[in-house]
Amino acid sequence: MKVGLFIPCYINAVYPEAGVATYKLLDYFGVEMDYPTAQTCCGQPMANGGFEGEAVSLANKFEELFGKYDYVVAPSASCTAFVKEVYPKLLNKEQHACQTSGKIYDLCEFLHDILKVKEMPGTFPHKVSIHNSCHGVRELNLSSASELNIERYSKIKDLLKLVKGIEVFEPHKADECCGFGGMFCVEEPDVSVCMGQDKLKNHIATGAAYITGADSSCMMHMQGIVKREKLPIKFIHVAQILASGL
Amino acid sequence: MSSKNDILENIKRNIKFTCDLPDISCLKGMEYADKIAQFIEITQGVGGNAYLLKEGEDINDLIKTLYPEAKEIASNLPDITIATRNPDTIDDPHALDGTDLGIIQGEVGVAENGCVWIPQNVRQKAVYFISEYLVIVLDRKNIVHNMHEAYRQIKFSDKYGFGLFISGPSKTADIEQALVMGAHGAKGVTVILK
Amino acid sequence: MSTKHSEAAKRFIANKEQRTWHNETLWLVREKRDRLAMAVPEWEKLRELSSEIKLHTITHLDKYAEQFAQKAEANGVVVHWAKDAKEHNEIVHGILAAHNTKKLVKSKSMLTEECHLNKYLIEQGIDVVETDLGERIIQFMNIPPSHIVMPAIHIKRQEVGKLFEEKLGTETGNSDPTYLTRAARKHLRDQFLSADAGMTGCNFAIAETGDIVVCTNEGNADMGTSFPKVHIVSIGLEKIIPNLNALGVYTRLLARSATGQPSTTYTSHFRKPGEGRELHYVIVDNGRSDIIGNEEHFQTLKCLRCAACMNTCPVYRRSGGYSYTYFIPGPIGINLGMLKSPQQYADNVSACTLCYSCNNVCPAHVNLADQIYRWRQDLDSLGKADPMKKVMSKGLKFLFGLPALYNTTLKFAPLVNHLPRFTVYNGLNAWGEGRELPEFTGDSFTALWKKGKVTKSGKKCSTLKKQKP
Repeated sequence: MKVGLFIPCYINAVYPEAGVATYKLLDYFGVEMDYPTAQTCCGQPMANGGFEGEAVSLANKFEELFGKYDYVVAPSASCTAFVKEVYPKLLNKEQHACQTSGKIYDLCEFLHDILKVKEMPGTFPHKVSIHNSCHGVRELNLSSASELNIERYSKIKDLLKLVKGIEVFEPHKADECCGFGGMFCVEEPDVSVCMGQDKLKNHIATGAAYITGADSSCMMHMQGIVKREKLPIKFIHVAQILASGL
Repeated sequence: MSSKNDILENIKRNIKFTCDLPDISCLKGMEYADKIAQFIEITQGVGGNAYLLKEGEDINDLIKTLYPEAKEIASNLPDITIATRNPDTIDDPHALDGTDLGIIQGEVGVAENGCVWIPQNVRQKAVYFISEYLVIVLDRKNIVHNMHEAYRQIKFSDKYGFGLFISGPSKTADIEQALVMGAHGAKGVTVILK
Repeated sequence: MSTKHSEAAKRFIANKEQRTWHNETLWLVREKRDRLAMAVPEWEKLRELSSEIKLHTITHLDKYAEQFAQKAEANGVVVHWAKDAKEHNEIVHGILAAHNTKKLVKSKSMLTEECHLNKYLIEQGIDVVETDLGERIIQFMNIPPSHIVMPAIHIKRQEVGKLFEEKLGTETGNSDPTYLTRAARKHLRDQFLSADAGMTGCNFAIAETGDIVVCTNEGNADMGTSFPKVHIVSIGLEKIIPNLNALGVYTRLLARSATGQPSTTYTSHFRKPGEGRELHYVIVDNGRSDIIGNEEHFQTLKCLRCAACMNTCPVYRRSGGYSYTYFIPGPIGINLGMLKSPQQYADNVSACTLCYSCNNVCPAHVNLADQIYRWRQDLDSLGKADPMKKVMSKGLKFLFGLPALYNTTLKFAPLVNHLPRFTVYNGLNAWGEGRELPEFTGDSFTALWKKGKVTKSGKKCSTLKKQKP
C-alpha cells in the first residue's frame, strides 16, 4: 500500500508541524508514503467563494500528482471533502473520470476506518475540547451530525481516547459552525468573528486547555480571535496529539 | 380559464423527468405498549388534560367539578344535560360569543401527539374555537398510535365539509417566545376518555 | 468586499444584547426540534419519504393540480387560477368587492406576503386585519416579518407593551406576555366577529379529496373562517400533495421541525363551504411552474415553510431577518430570492458559511447549502461577483497553478509576521477586524521535506499487521 500525502496549503504555510505529525504517525502504523512536492491547493477557497472554474486546473494537477497512489491522506477534513465531493463534478465537465475522489481520506478517517488502529504511541496529559468542523461532520461523517436521528459516534473521539492521560470534552452546540467558511470570513467579517467568539466561549467553558480538531482552517480563524482577545485556550491539530511520543 | 391553461401548460413544458410515488404504507410509525397512557401523557405535555371516566361516574358531574365557574355551556351531545345552548339550533354563529365551555365529540385520538379528530358534527363549528374552555369526549377504544393510522381512519360527516385535529389548548409564543395558553381559541382543553 | 447582507448584519451584531437573545432564543427552538426529532425512531425515513412524495408531486404537478381543482369544484368550492401576484390580488379583491367586504380577517400566509396583497387591498379601501398575534404586532408597527414562523421574533416585550398601550389601551408599563396576549385576544375577537370575509393560507392541498389543510397554534385561521360568509384560500402550486396518506407524513414532520411540538394545536381540513357560505381557492403560480424546469434549483419547491433552516442557521441567528434583502430570510430565503431575481437578490448569497446544518434539519431534504454553493458559481456571469473576491480567486489560481511560485511565496510569507501593524490591520483587511493574522512559519512543510527535516520516529506499532495493498 502506498499513500500519497496531501498537505493542504495553509497547513504547509502556517502549521507544518501538523504535517510532520501526520507523517510520523502514519509511519508508526507502517504506512509507506510519498510527498509529491509539486502539490499546492485543492481549490476550495476559490470554489466556495463562487469561482469553481479557477479550481479545475488544480483538480487536474491533483489527479496527475495523486492518481497513482492507493490512498491519498490529508490532515484536513475540509480539503478532503472538497476533493471527494466536488472534484468528480468538476472533472466530469471535462469528460475525465475522477481517480482521487474515491481514495482520498482525512487522516482520522484513514486511521479509524482503513487502518482500524487500536492503540496510540504516547501520552497527552491534558484536557482537550474537540472542534467538530462542519465539513468533517456533515460531509465526511467523522461524527454523527447533531441534527440527524442516527446512532451517536465520533471517530476523532474514538482515536483521542486511545491516547493515554487525555481528557476529552465537546463544547455545548457540539457541531455548530465556528464562522470561518473560507471567503465568508472576509466577506462577512462581523458575523464570522461573532460566530468565532461564541464558539470559543463554548470551547473554553469545557475547561479544556486545548482545542483540537481535524481542520486547521477553523482553528486558524479561532486562533486569530484568541490572539486578539487574549483568551485562555491553545490550539493543537489532532494529528499532533495522536503522534505524541513520536 | 386561460390562466389555468397557461399554468398547466407551463408546468408540462418544464417537467423534464418524473419520479415515482414512494410506498408510504411500508413506513411503520411509532407504536406504544399502552396507547391510552401515552395519549394522556402527551395531552398533558401539550398543555391539555385527559381524564379517564370511571365506571358509573356521571360525565355531567365530572365536568361541573372540572369547570365549576362555567355558566354558558354549549353542546349538542345527548348525554350532556348541563348545556345551556345548542350549537345545532343556533342560526348565527355570532350568538355563540360568550360561551364559557364547549362540550364536543371527538372520533379518533392519536397517541403520538395528543391530536383528536373532530369531523364537523355540529351546525356551528364556531363552538370549537370561541368557547373559553373545551371538553372533548372521546371513546378510549378509538385511540390510535400515530398519524398514519389516523389518516387511514378519519372520515368527514355526511353533513359538513370540515374536520380538524385539536391537540391541547390554543397557544402562542409570539411575544419573546413566552408560551401563553389561549391565544384565540380555548384557554384549556380536557379530553374525557369514556 | 461587502454585501448588503454583511452591512446589515454588522448593524444587527452591534447590539450585543439583542443579537445574543436572538441567537440563543432561536437555538432553543432548534433544540426543541432536536428533542422531538430524536424521539421518533423513523425520523430519517420520514424525511426521505417527504422528499420523495414532493419530488413525485412536482414532477406530476399538472396532473395533481388539475385533480385538486376538479375535486374542489365538485365539492362546491370556487377555484381560481392566478399566473402572478397581480392576478392573485385582483382575484381576491374581486371576490371581496362582490360581497361588499369592508373588513377582511387574515391568518398568516407567506404567499400573500409574497404578493403584497395587504397593501393592494388597503389601497382599494378594505380594512385588512392580520390575526396571528405576531403578524398583528408587526402590522401595527408597519414592518415586515423577520422570520416566517415567528414573524415578530426580533421585537422585545417592552416594545409590544408600548405598542399595545397606544393601539389597544393596555396599562402603562405592563409588558407581561400573558397580559398582552389577553389584550390581543379581546381585540382580535372583536375583529373576527365583525369581519365580512376571512382569508387563510394553505399548508397542504390534497389532490385526491380537494381539501386544503391549515395548521395553526393560535386558532386564528379557524376563528377567521367560522363567522364571515366568505373564506378565501391562497394556495401556492407547490402546496399540492397527492392524498391523505401523504399528509400523514407531513403532519408528523411539520410542527416537530418548525417549533418542536408534536403537532400544531389545530390541523384544520376544509373541504366544502359551510351552510350559506362561499369557499374560494386561488391557486397561484407566480414563477413556480418555471422553477420546475430549473434542474439545479427545482428542489426548493419541496419546502414546507417550517423555518427549521433559519433556526439552525448560525448566520441567520446572528444577523436577524432584516439583514436579508428578500422577504424570506435564512437559507431557504437566499435560494428563493435568487430564483425570484438573481439580479435583485444576489446580496444574500454571502450569508452562508456552507456549514450544511440546514440540509440536515430540512424535513423535505432540500439541499439548501448545495444550492447556495451553486448560486455563488453563477454570480460572476450575472455580473454580481465581488471584484475583490474575483481578483483573489484569480490570484490564488495563478499562485497555486505554479508550484515553484507557490513554494517561493511560502518561503517569503513569514515576512508578513514582521510588517508594521498598521499595514496589516487596516480598513482593507477584513480578517483583521476581529482577528490577528496567523503567524507564518519559518519553514513550510515542503521546505522541511526538501531539507530532509520531515523524519520518521523510528518507533513502530507492534499490534498492527503489515498493510497490504
